[in-house]
Amino acid sequence: MKKVLLVALFLCANVFAAPQIGDNVTDFKLPNLYNLNQELSSTDFKGNVILLNLWASWCGGCKEEMPLFVELQEEFKESNFKILLSSIDKDPQSAISFLNGVDQNRVLNSFYDKEKTLPKAYKCMGMPSSYLIDANGKLVDIFIGSIDEDSLAKLKIKIKSLLGK
Amino acid sequence: MYKIILILSALVLSGCSDRLVRVMPYEKEYFAQEKMSLSPIAERAEQEGHIFLIREASAGGESAFQGGCGCR
Repeated sequence: MKKVLLVALFLCANVFAAPQIGDNVTDFKLPNLYNLNQELSSTDFKGNVILLNLWASWCGGCKEEMPLFVELQEEFKESNFKILLSSIDKDPQSAISFLNGVDQNRVLNSFYDKEKTLPKAYKCMGMPSSYLIDANGKLVDIFIGSIDEDSLAKLKIKIKSLLGK
Repeated sequence: MYKIILILSALVLSGCSDRLVRVMPYEKEYFAQEKMSLSPIAERAEQEGHIFLIREASAGGESAFQGGCGCR
């Protein structure tokens, strides 16, 4: 009886647990925001340090931090660091219109997650949320809420240490 | 046996309840629309605030900083 309960508890806890720092992240395939017929996979970016950002054009904080991400990607463009955006907008055009204003050179890799699979998988606690993933696919840090200048400085230090710089 | 089923259902339901009741942050697209704000018309909100201050004699009463007593 006790064993059954323990197993049930363990199962329930696992089913509802959010990915923790140190966990291996699962691979995903989603359409390219700029070309919905083309599917992008997270495996295309294997071996890179990744900042996965879950965002939407209706979220003020998400729009606020986007110029910082463009700058960050520009700064690390020569290294194995990639920012992956995943928009959960109902209408992909609103996300594209916003990004066209901020990221004219399209330096940020953009996925389109209509079904909100990533926020559901990551048990996203707030919008925006960013996940720093190392080159081996391990979750290194979680940022809930928009990234400001202070947290950006800390993030840069972490990225540099992951890149071995 | 019934006890086990009851306990299991309670566990599963309590795990799901959060999802059933709470609107998750990524589901707030419609809430984020301007028409969903309490005062969707900015000009009217300002006017309403002004009338509120006169009526209640509480300059600054709408903020958490000072005011509310009308003695400022």
